[in-house]
Amino acid sequence: MEGSRTVLIVDDEPPILRFLRAALETAGFAVAEAASGRRALDLAALRKPDVILLDLGLPDMDGLEVIGRLREWTAAPIIVVTVRGSESDKIAGLDRGADDYLTKPFGVPELLARIRVALRHAQRRREDPEPVYRRGELVIDLAAHRVWQRKKELRLSPLQYALLSALVRNAGRVVAQRKLLQELWPEGGSSPEALRILVHQTRHRIEPEPARPRFLKTEPAVGYRLEVPDDE
Amino acid sequence: MSALLREYGLMVGVNALCTAVCLLASPFTALTDLVMVYLVGILFVALRGQRGPSVFSSFLSVLCFNFFFVPPRYTFAVDHPQYVVTFLVMLAVALTISHLAVRVRVQAEAAKRAEVAAETERLRSSLLSAVSHELKTPLTAIIGSASSLLQAPGAGSGRGREMLDNIREEAERLSRLVHNLIETTRLESGAVRLKKEPYPIEDVIGTALERLDQPLAGREVRTELPEDLPLVPVDPVLMELVFVNLIENVLRHGAGGSAIEISARPVAGALEVSVADRGPGLSAEPVERVFEKFFKGGSAGGGMGLGLAICKAVVEAHGGTISAGNRPGGGAVLAMRLPLAKVP
Repeated sequence: MEGSRTVLIVDDEPPILRFLRAALETAGFAVAEAASGRRALDLAALRKPDVILLDLGLPDMDGLEVIGRLREWTAAPIIVVTVRGSESDKIAGLDRGADDYLTKPFGVPELLARIRVALRHAQRRREDPEPVYRRGELVIDLAAHRVWQRKKELRLSPLQYALLSALVRNAGRVVAQRKLLQELWPEGGSSPEALRILVHQTRHRIEPEPARPRFLKTEPAVGYRLEVPDDE
Repeated sequence: MSALLREYGLMVGVNALCTAVCLLASPFTALTDLVMVYLVGILFVALRGQRGPSVFSSFLSVLCFNFFFVPPRYTFAVDHPQYVVTFLVMLAVALTISHLAVRVRVQAEAAKRAEVAAETERLRSSLLSAVSHELKTPLTAIIGSASSLLQAPGAGSGRGREMLDNIREEAERLSRLVHNLIETTRLESGAVRLKKEPYPIEDVIGTALERLDQPLAGREVRTELPEDLPLVPVDPVLMELVFVNLIENVLRHGAGGSAIEISARPVAGALEVSVADRGPGLSAEPVERVFEKFFKGGSAGGGMGLGLAICKAVVEAHGGTISAGNRPGGGAVLAMRLPLAKVP
């Protein structure tokens, strides 16, 4: 079903390359591998991958620089791979133009989910945005400006709705805190604290169990992610 | 003290040397040029960074200049009142030089110390990052490979699948242990700076529960977190680690399937958050020993004894306290108090 989509894996650790190749090929992707930043830039130009999986710790170049150089000419989704505890790298990666990230260690389902989300968003850039988000009993209709939970329509404040709408347009993908602040308060004058309170309140409207969110997840110190809709 | 005495000795020596040079030069030079010689001596003493000797040197130089060179020579008497002005100017210049030189020296030393400290910290944290990378890479490959096999079509069933699950779950546990070990080291070596910001505690608890999604499968989690709890200043990443460890501890020691209860309430100036169960309770005596590093609870399958130690370290780094106890009616409770006001 993935057709002949190509994933470029950029990592300098052979054991990691080995399992990524196996997992991705099993899932039907074509795979290109690069063990250095320079090789990654060459291969990206040569193979025109549909998704780039980039480990930030490369032997020859700073991974952030690789993102910058790629973004000069390609819009192909970049998924940054980092270890836990490097939140500043994740934020910097997203700021430079990466689309998402994966935290080591990760399982194959998580890997494939991230890649599919990235592919879908890359495709959507060229098409109309999907107007309705549906996951479990939560329905968000962007065209009609309405939200339902368990078939009951929710009355949300304009800001709560704006938050959901920003997340739906990026469903499945992390949205950095800074990006949300810019989008929800374009004239400035807000704070990360206000955003956290808004997320908290929105969760209490849409989540059956706000302490164990099923829809609106937090990416600690980085941002938020709305889980992928059911039809993905 | 002896170091200071040596400075005074050196100062007297420098002064004597200046006087000797001046005595040799005096037949050929103007009286005021001799002042310069003394000022060089004062500068030398002052650059060694001790305020006492350099101030003393200023006065001694004026006295020597007066005694040896100002007519009538070899007395402290002065012929012309203009020399009094010379003395005062000389003294003022000498004191200013010594003040400035001492300050430059002290600042240079402070800058050097700060540089050494920063360098040590950089080294420590890059060493820790390298160790972390070395340990986590094989774990990532193991977890990824096991999960890749589980995902493959015809991944087998029964025994094979069970073993793959076992590999993946245990590698994930090992990965959490490695993370604990590294974070503990980071905290203890001071290579970590808390990034505290006000958060709803529910948000942090939510990410911890999410991370433990698989180990928690089938276990009831009861949360009692009022929507209007005040925000609490925490480092979200480290505080998530605290909750992961508290909950894991309950999972490991609270045998039986009793619900895990997480609740929070505001108390005077703080937020009290507790994680509790209705299991067998804590057998440590006194119970506070559970927070000791490498303390292993009595029950089987106890971890390395790092989990609760890191909780204590993180909570204390936040200016809070953590305590353990047994609940009336059975079960254990781990409770912490996190200050609501930002502590510097």
